[in-house]
Amino acid sequence: MPLLINQQPVSDDRWIRITDAEQLDQHGDDADLLVDWSVYRDCFDALLARTGQLGVAIPNDIDVAELRPLQTQFAVIAVDFPSFADGRAFSQARLLRRQGFSGQIRALGDVTWDRLRFMHRCGIDAMEIAQDRYSAEMTAAFSEIGVCNQGGVDDPNPIYRQQGV
Amino acid sequence: MYVYSELDQQLIDERVEQYRDQTQRFLAGQIPDEEFRILRLQNGLYIQTHAPMLRVAINYGLLSSAQLRALAKVSRDYDKNYAHFTTRQNIQFNWPALEAVPDILADLAKVQMHAIQTSGSCIRSVTSDHFAGIAAGEIEDPRPWSEIIRQWAALHPEFAYLPRKFKIAVTACEQDRAATQVHDIGVRLVRNEAGETGFEVLVGGGLGRTPMIGKQIRAFLPQHDLLSYLEAILRVYNLLGRRDNKYKARIKILVDAMGADAFRDKVEAEWLQIRDSELKLPQAEIDRVKGFFQPPAYQADAASDTSYADRLASDRDFAVWIERNSFEHKVPGYRAVTLAIKGLLKAPGDVTDVQMDAVADLADRYNFGEIRSTHEQNLVFAHVNQADLYPLWQALVELDLARPVIGTINDMIACPGLDFCSLANAETLSVARQVQTKFDDLDYLYDLGEIKLRMSGCINACAHHHVGHIGILGVDKKGESYYQFTLGGSSNADASLGKVLGKSIPLDQVADTLATILDVFVEIRNEGERFIDTVRRVGNQPFKERVYAPAH
Repeated sequence: MPLLINQQPVSDDRWIRITDAEQLDQHGDDADLLVDWSVYRDCFDALLARTGQLGVAIPNDIDVAELRPLQTQFAVIAVDFPSFADGRAFSQARLLRRQGFSGQIRALGDVTWDRLRFMHRCGIDAMEIAQDRYSAEMTAAFSEIGVCNQGGVDDPNPIYRQQGV
Repeated sequence: MYVYSELDQQLIDERVEQYRDQTQRFLAGQIPDEEFRILRLQNGLYIQTHAPMLRVAINYGLLSSAQLRALAKVSRDYDKNYAHFTTRQNIQFNWPALEAVPDILADLAKVQMHAIQTSGSCIRSVTSDHFAGIAAGEIEDPRPWSEIIRQWAALHPEFAYLPRKFKIAVTACEQDRAATQVHDIGVRLVRNEAGETGFEVLVGGGLGRTPMIGKQIRAFLPQHDLLSYLEAILRVYNLLGRRDNKYKARIKILVDAMGADAFRDKVEAEWLQIRDSELKLPQAEIDRVKGFFQPPAYQADAASDTSYADRLASDRDFAVWIERNSFEHKVPGYRAVTLAIKGLLKAPGDVTDVQMDAVADLADRYNFGEIRSTHEQNLVFAHVNQADLYPLWQALVELDLARPVIGTINDMIACPGLDFCSLANAETLSVARQVQTKFDDLDYLYDLGEIKLRMSGCINACAHHHVGHIGILGVDKKGESYYQFTLGGSSNADASLGKVLGKSIPLDQVADTLATILDVFVEIRNEGERFIDTVRRVGNQPFKERVYAPAH
């Protein structure tokens, strides 16, 4: 699946998505696994014993404060956009950054051109995009609007605190 | 009024081009219908029964004459030479072509107007008191705060995909002409015991299918904390508001389900995290925005004019209009005037391009180039020198904008109903005509005193029928329009929700039913009692008995 990281397309995504505990045996000990939150909770002893890096994909209805004591275990936290109307993960991403998570935050699900900029501003630095919705031109989304009235993860300053305003 | 900085202008210009690109990608088949629906709604574009409808923002109801002329031009160039003022102080065009909307928005951007967040599940345009800045007893002008909220809400990266629409109103007067108790958030300027100005914050009011009065979650919020507190409320709502059922997705349902205390605890806990962040408003920013809302250059000797008193004494029609359609100004020698967009047998809130251009000219001549729209679908000239009231009245009579009906049932608020709206269940415009035709005796209407009549064509309640002294809700019964009456609602300081009178009534009996209700009122009212107060005193029963009495 096409992937943008830091507003650029990347081709070598090493992360393997795990949605079911039974898939764990199919991968070597050093593979980097992005596991669903439910798999993590069922198997975290085994997952933490592995040598590969660990990422977790969270549903958009959990309180991310739960992850705070755990977040150093994760190189990636993936947040979910189950539909184009659903914006909960924007807040989850911001809260994850606020509580100090410095790894990759990856957007999964309904990730298309017209929400990329808002995702970026909320602290999401990686976006997985369905093949049929991907185009090379879509990174223009990040620069369509150059004015930020609000602070965000990219710049915490609202417009009235920005340099030169 | 607020004048855009270079960055404000850049933002709306870029938004136009972004929307142009979205439209082109949609027309090229690159954006599915359902996604484009959300994108166009965030930019004010509905697809209605006959054509798209474009809702343009008039933030807190404030317009310049140049802006009104630009709206008139849009109605000529892209529409059918008229436009419709809404119950949230905005304006709608009913016949634009979808392909032309980016060009319309580009034209409007030249006069600092836009359609950002006038629809969709996002923070909508902010509304306020149409007598802001001129009403006696106002704590301070609410418009700078409305503007500060507008800027914070515009293209907010976190809150563009909320569970449902989100409406904020700001007021600074006890009378609460902004209906803050029936908004998702009501912001009310108040003074604390130390004499400092801040905000009382209400959450969870709203109308629609489940009408509720907002609950106070903070009695006093310091000024500099306004945006951090709003952000905390929105964050809690974005994360916890229901998304499984659009009829239960408004914040009022969340607040009601959690209880106001539990909701407040969540908000306050989040607020503690961000209260002392960059969101804190610097005094310099507050002062900068307030600087745009300074009073115009009033003439110091305006009150010494004697022609006004002479005209009042000699011209009864003028005196009636002054009594009905004008409002006291805190500066001696000035009055505010309501331009009634309730033309006889015309849709409430509809204005033609000719009227808009003429009103813009009159505003330049008599009102410092300013026009305000009201949530009661009228316009206001807020600063008219008393010596100018007579010539202004004469000009407004010519334009059919001087019907002296403000506050009467002929000043009714109505949504466009079945004639235009794809959501509607019933006609409203023909009912409005029926009511106007039946009640054409103005002296009778004046004798009735203040009665707010509001009529919605469906349960979405765009005309806020629940808070009408008399509310009328259109319903569909096997393809026929029927009407359910509610009595006793109010959106002002004494806010309350009207109670249903009884079973709904067929289209051809609406005006007669209204007449019966008013007959009962005239019989049982106490001396000088308003309709709403009579209903509160006696309840619905006496009205119900007569309306549903068996024919004999």
